[in-house]
Amino acid sequence: MEKLDLSIEFLGVKFPNPFCLSASPVGNDYDMCAKAYRSGFGGVVFKTIGPKSYFIDEVSPRFDAVGKEGTPFTGFKNMEQIAEHPLEENLADMKRLKKDFPNRVLIASIMGNDEQTWEDLARMSEEAGADMLEMNLSCPQMTSHAMGSDVGTNPELCKRYCEAVKRGSKLPMMAKMTPNITDMNIVAKACIEGGADGIAAINTVKSITRVDLDKLVGMPIIDGKSSVSGYSGAAVKPIGLRFIAQLHGDPALKDVQLSGMGGIETWEDAAEYILLGASNLQMTTCLMQYGYRIVEDLSDGLLRYMKKNGVKHLSELVGKASGSIIPAESLNRDYRIYPHIDEDACLGCGRCYISCYDGAHQAMEWNEEKRKPHVNDEKCVGCHLCLLVCPVKAISPGEIKYKEGRPVGTPKI
Amino acid sequence: MSQSYFEEAVKPFSPATVMEEVSRCLLCIDPPCSKSCPAGTDPGKFIRSLRFKNVEGAACTIRINNALGSVCARVCPTERYCQKGCLRSGIDRPLDIGRIQSFLTDYEEKGGLNFFEKKAPKNKKIALVGGGPSALQAAATLAIEGYSVEIYEKDSKLGGYLRGGIPEYRLPTEILDKEIQRILDLDVKAHLGVKIGEDISLDYLKEHFDAVCICTGFSKGKTLEMFEGKEDTITAVELLKKLKADPKGATLPEKVLVIGGGDVAMDAVCSLKMLGAKKVIDVVYEELPEMRASEKEVKSVLSQADSLICGYAPVSHEGHKTVFKHRFLESELTITSDLVVLAVGQTADVNGLSLTLEKGEAVGVYHSTSDPKVFFAGDLTPKNEKTVVYAVKTGKEAAWAMINRLEGKK
Repeated sequence: MEKLDLSIEFLGVKFPNPFCLSASPVGNDYDMCAKAYRSGFGGVVFKTIGPKSYFIDEVSPRFDAVGKEGTPFTGFKNMEQIAEHPLEENLADMKRLKKDFPNRVLIASIMGNDEQTWEDLARMSEEAGADMLEMNLSCPQMTSHAMGSDVGTNPELCKRYCEAVKRGSKLPMMAKMTPNITDMNIVAKACIEGGADGIAAINTVKSITRVDLDKLVGMPIIDGKSSVSGYSGAAVKPIGLRFIAQLHGDPALKDVQLSGMGGIETWEDAAEYILLGASNLQMTTCLMQYGYRIVEDLSDGLLRYMKKNGVKHLSELVGKASGSIIPAESLNRDYRIYPHIDEDACLGCGRCYISCYDGAHQAMEWNEEKRKPHVNDEKCVGCHLCLLVCPVKAISPGEIKYKEGRPVGTPKI
Repeated sequence: MSQSYFEEAVKPFSPATVMEEVSRCLLCIDPPCSKSCPAGTDPGKFIRSLRFKNVEGAACTIRINNALGSVCARVCPTERYCQKGCLRSGIDRPLDIGRIQSFLTDYEEKGGLNFFEKKAPKNKKIALVGGGPSALQAAATLAIEGYSVEIYEKDSKLGGYLRGGIPEYRLPTEILDKEIQRILDLDVKAHLGVKIGEDISLDYLKEHFDAVCICTGFSKGKTLEMFEGKEDTITAVELLKKLKADPKGATLPEKVLVIGGGDVAMDAVCSLKMLGAKKVIDVVYEELPEMRASEKEVKSVLSQADSLICGYAPVSHEGHKTVFKHRFLESELTITSDLVVLAVGQTADVNGLSLTLEKGEAVGVYHSTSDPKVFFAGDLTPKNEKTVVYAVKTGKEAAWAMINRLEGKK
């Protein structure tokens, strides 16, 4: 039997697996990228290189994290800009990486400030040995308005820059989208028109994570001040998935391959991105928190999922679930699924009763003496808030009832 | 690592670990943990406050419900009360409510927070006889309600059994002192080294105060007939008091036999071992399933005692030799020791207080004696467990019984 692997082709380049470092602090130099390759990453997007004239001057501190009780960070704020090392040094590192890891994919992330610099950076990256280019049109923490996420909201400008990049290099190229926009597809289409081969999404979400309540300053504090900058990590995954699904579901973009990112931490997150249309995956926040080693379980978990489902090539999974996302007005609204309570599993905490009363339709009744909930079918609308709040999953979907006058069928649930 | 007598055995939560712990809370409606706290400390409320980051509010809930919040957090056998109610047990294990409470009372202390607010003065005086936990809680409740309170304590410091009986590693003196100071700061007056019934009569108090509450507790260790008058025998109550007063100066015999299976026996065993006694053997009347000591205490004894023997009752004691017989089996046991420590229960010492006792407890309903001016609280309360949390409960109840009487309600 052929040994199962995670290899997948993306923009004409074969990746040993879909997992890549995204252009960020995790791929800052040769040593970091080399360690990532050795840890098992299929590719690396080297930290964005910019024009020689652009002076990088970082703040300290530059990160913040939003936690939830017991979880140190669910969301992460990053104020770091593009590559801090001189351009020549970055190009030399890329050259060395390609030489030492010829079978892994090296992607150069570039960011110009006019058509000429975009073109030049593309050419230099190709000369350094990159296999692919990624246009960073969307970094929210750049200090200049000619660079950064504001560029990514202007389809005309994006198209022109894509054309410039294509003049500089014929390498396969993806344009990286900002999520700080209502309709990403407009910009994505403009980039494809400008010559982009693929689309990467999402970059970080503009954010203010916290305010120090004693000092009355946003976090992180830099000499008594702070700034809006990019939010990432598990908290943004639902936003990333939405954009990937919308890009993949757009008929005008149906042949465009996507690189998905935003909050990927586990193989399950990875599978979700793939099922909604991504052929390639990038990550940063989880690596900053846990290190490159987590790629072991991303790979192994995804392989086991493929095996369990009889999937021979990862590409078979790409977009498999994107057809399931349809406009809300097209959903079947004919039936209700009533919750079923497993009395033996129920601990009697009453959370379902509280949530149903305060957040739904007062359908959950509460026996104070026995400490047991009971569903009143007359009032229940089948919203399933109770299922979500139950700490022991003692509530499950139960009886299906069709609304009066609706055709009775067998819904897929 | 061996436990030191001078260091608190239970290590505190950090701000991060306490949040991890409270995130395990199911946030039950009508929380069973709160219903299971005799003192009404309301863990369900303070845990929810902490879960929603209202740390100060959480600390406030503890303090206004329980004037001995820091003490209870440390010494309460929580597995019998709040933690027994915790529904999280249905998943894995109950929340560590005592340690969460310690975290919050430590937060209160470190932040110099004061949650007590006194009401307008009522111009009525109440005397409390004894300065242990029930008196301290009664004093706090009464002072907050605007009564002027005076405590008469026979020892040179307030605290009663908390000061003399509970070893340092379970309740640091520093914590107790701060807890007491918080109550004294409510303008509670303390007369120290004064024994009512000897130095001052109860009649004097009745004459000069609007109400008197007897809170003298079960301060005397019980003995057994065969040990009466024996020089090599001491009650655990006396021993613990001696050790706590001067732990470094105590000369410890080589071989000690402790008799008893409650928390006091456990404390005696552990204190002796921590302070350097060579061999400490504990013989318990109850068999394992009926042991009265709290989970935490038994656990510490298992890590400290040399031997723990269950199911034996002493039958004779002659010349350092104590003979036991098993309660159910044909088995006899002889132990030779330099010292015998008796931890076989405690009893009231109410000499000169003209208090009628029945089965060792006061006679009366709702903390009132037949004398309309005289009340009782703490261990003396009939059919109440003899624990600190019950001292707090009865202290509060007795305070309200007096307030209601003085205000003409019932």
